[in-house]
Amino acid sequence: MASVKLTKVKKIYDNKVVAVHDFDLDIKDKEFVVFVGPSGCGKSTTLRMIAGLEEISEGTVEIDGVVVNDLQPKDRNIAMVFQNYALYPHMTVYDNIAFSLRLQKMPEDLIYEKVTKAAEILGITEYLMRKPRALSGGQRQRVAIGRAMVRESKVFLMDEPLSNLDAKLRNQMRAEIILLRQKLNTTFIYVTHDQTEAMTLADRIVIMKDGFIMQVGTPAECFDMPANLFVAEFIGAPKMNIIKCELLKENGRYYVTPFGAKIEVDGEKGQELARRDVKPGKILLGVRPEHITLAQQGGIPTRLEVNEMMGSELHLHVYTEDETRLIVRVPTIGLTNEQRKGMTYGSALNITFEGKVMHFFDPETEKNMLCD
Amino acid sequence: MNYYATVNNTLEFIKENALIVGIIAAFCVVAITVGMWKVFQKAGKHPWMAVIPFARDYTLTEIGSTGLIGVLAYVILPILGIINLNGIRYFYDLNKGASKPIYAILFVLGTIFLAIALFFHVLSSIKLSNAFEKGTGFLIGLILLPPVFLLILGLDQSKYVRSVSTSLGLKASRAISNTLIYIVLVIMAIIWLVPFVCIVLQSFRTESTWSVGYVLPKQWGFQNYVDLWNSNFKRWYLNTFIIALIVAALQTIIVLCMSYTLSRFRFKLRKGLMQFMLILGMFPGMLTMIILYRVLKDLGLTESHAVPGLVLVYIASSGMGYYVSKGFFDTIPKSLDEAARVDGATRAQVLYKIILPLAKPIVIYTILTAFMAPWGDFVFAKYVSFEDPVGMNVAVGLWKWLTPDMINQRYTMFCAGGVIVAIPVAVLFMCLQKYYVEGVTGGAVKG
Repeated sequence: MASVKLTKVKKIYDNKVVAVHDFDLDIKDKEFVVFVGPSGCGKSTTLRMIAGLEEISEGTVEIDGVVVNDLQPKDRNIAMVFQNYALYPHMTVYDNIAFSLRLQKMPEDLIYEKVTKAAEILGITEYLMRKPRALSGGQRQRVAIGRAMVRESKVFLMDEPLSNLDAKLRNQMRAEIILLRQKLNTTFIYVTHDQTEAMTLADRIVIMKDGFIMQVGTPAECFDMPANLFVAEFIGAPKMNIIKCELLKENGRYYVTPFGAKIEVDGEKGQELARRDVKPGKILLGVRPEHITLAQQGGIPTRLEVNEMMGSELHLHVYTEDETRLIVRVPTIGLTNEQRKGMTYGSALNITFEGKVMHFFDPETEKNMLCD
Repeated sequence: MNYYATVNNTLEFIKENALIVGIIAAFCVVAITVGMWKVFQKAGKHPWMAVIPFARDYTLTEIGSTGLIGVLAYVILPILGIINLNGIRYFYDLNKGASKPIYAILFVLGTIFLAIALFFHVLSSIKLSNAFEKGTGFLIGLILLPPVFLLILGLDQSKYVRSVSTSLGLKASRAISNTLIYIVLVIMAIIWLVPFVCIVLQSFRTESTWSVGYVLPKQWGFQNYVDLWNSNFKRWYLNTFIIALIVAALQTIIVLCMSYTLSRFRFKLRKGLMQFMLILGMFPGMLTMIILYRVLKDLGLTESHAVPGLVLVYIASSGMGYYVSKGFFDTIPKSLDEAARVDGATRAQVLYKIILPLAKPIVIYTILTAFMAPWGDFVFAKYVSFEDPVGMNVAVGLWKWLTPDMINQRYTMFCAGGVIVAIPVAVLFMCLQKYYVEGVTGGAVKG
């Protein structure tokens, strides 16, 4: 139960490769923060610097107001769950969970109490006397979490804990982590490359790329107002459509011109553009697949190439006249059977979207034009 | 198909390696003939008999007075074996493709006959060597080695299994190939064990103390061991034991710490240090002998004070023996270390609570090798103890007994000493061999 503060943290490897650049972050007490980004973006390195497993090249890490740069991992009062579980193969599940407590020279009956309690919460009581190799992946992960739980540490670190599990188990464990978090009520820092995990678990998401923080915000903020093109494409699945087009201003109203069409930017977005007095010109227009609708008449003419049936919705990969690929999500519930049958390879579809769902990015800086 | 493949594989192998097989075969023939020639000359038989096949065998049984065994070994069994092999070729010609398990059994029987023939050959060779001076027997024994190896090469196990398994059940084919392998291994084991058996038998010989030309003692007794107890041997044994024990303990600690450090820590010059030690290790240790002797002499650690001197020398460079255990440590995931460190363990606790229990085979391997090296060392121990019996280890002390002026009084005691020296090592190996094998091979394969 502690705050974590990172100030200008930098990681430079021996070969002069900079893995993390000036990382600034203030994690509040009992907050669940998720570091997310593609592989090699420095998210794990940052976590390991907090844990004390990597040296901090520059900057400071504070846990509960104490600078921990020069403290050994064992003195930082943290618990960590590893991607490959890192269970001690020669010890039983019980000994694995009790390991840290024994190092603290805790009396054996107290250890017993704590281990059995943790095992109960995680539902692994019947496996306590087994060796890790006799457990399935999900059970091993529970043991790893149990081992971290009994430490009752200030900060709970998780390094891609679910990536070694199959998809079904991952969904289940994700829900369990949410429950666990309510029970433990401590500060969580969680690393993942899966944006779904980030969105569902986090109070705040830290999106990273090439060692830089791209955006820090709540899942809703990151989704509704992505700070830049990278975040816009990274968060949300399928990813946001990016369209090169012009922003026009006529009589105080803004218009965009995707694929020769002319669509007015109405609603809040239009007002915001006017308030900021954005200059017309070339922009990158972002529209999420679920915000594109099929038009009966007018709109942008496209050709359907791939139709992915997801159950409750269709993912349509359509090509415009200039061979730009767009993805459209259409809920199946609003479609008649005839319409669905008509959606085959090569069939013509007209699409359209409204001004309020548009995102505007500067083609030079790739920054969101409506974001600070 | 099985015979076709088996015989074909064997023939193919001989064809592919015609030159080597030819050279070995020619060498065997020439060596056997020359050996026989000398034997016959010494026995007063006509040496030309050595070149004539059956006359030679007959003469051998005559000289060695080996009787029925000799006749079996030299005449009947080889003929049986040859007939059998020919039979197989006959089947192979007739049944290209179609074959029955009975052929395989015949083939195995033929091989067994050959193997038994070889076995008796060795036995009667020893008998022969007893009938003459020693040395001739060793010559013939050595001559017998190449055919054994040829047998192993020719009956390459995997080819055999593959070829037979098509028509026989997997179980039967495995049984056959195992039988073959065991026959070969038993023969090799016998050849290996001969010197040891000789030493043990000689150590119980009480009718004389000098070296004799026969193996079985005429009078049995423990006198040699009693004499040993009353000699300097006790002192030497204690010296060696102390040295080996201290070295085993210290060297194990040093090697394991070194390996762990090189496996887990990243520091400047780590690579450089490893390369430096690799190059340093390429120089033979003997090169340092003179300077080490000088240093020890100046420290006063030679002659009667050789024991601490030797301990110093043996453990001095032990850090360089880190390769095998570092390789093993490298296969243990680093995240285990990290998890333990986060759990509150210090580096030392990580090593002895997590890494060492997981690396048990390599720890035992390290202890064993650390114990063995000083236990059997001769060259340096001799150099340092010089002529002082107080500072000698067993190897040097026992060697002293084999010098010309002592051998006639001490030969059987030497044998008894050899047995006593072998006991702790043998016991250690028997208890720990499982780990030893894992340790030797464990570093290479990711476990």
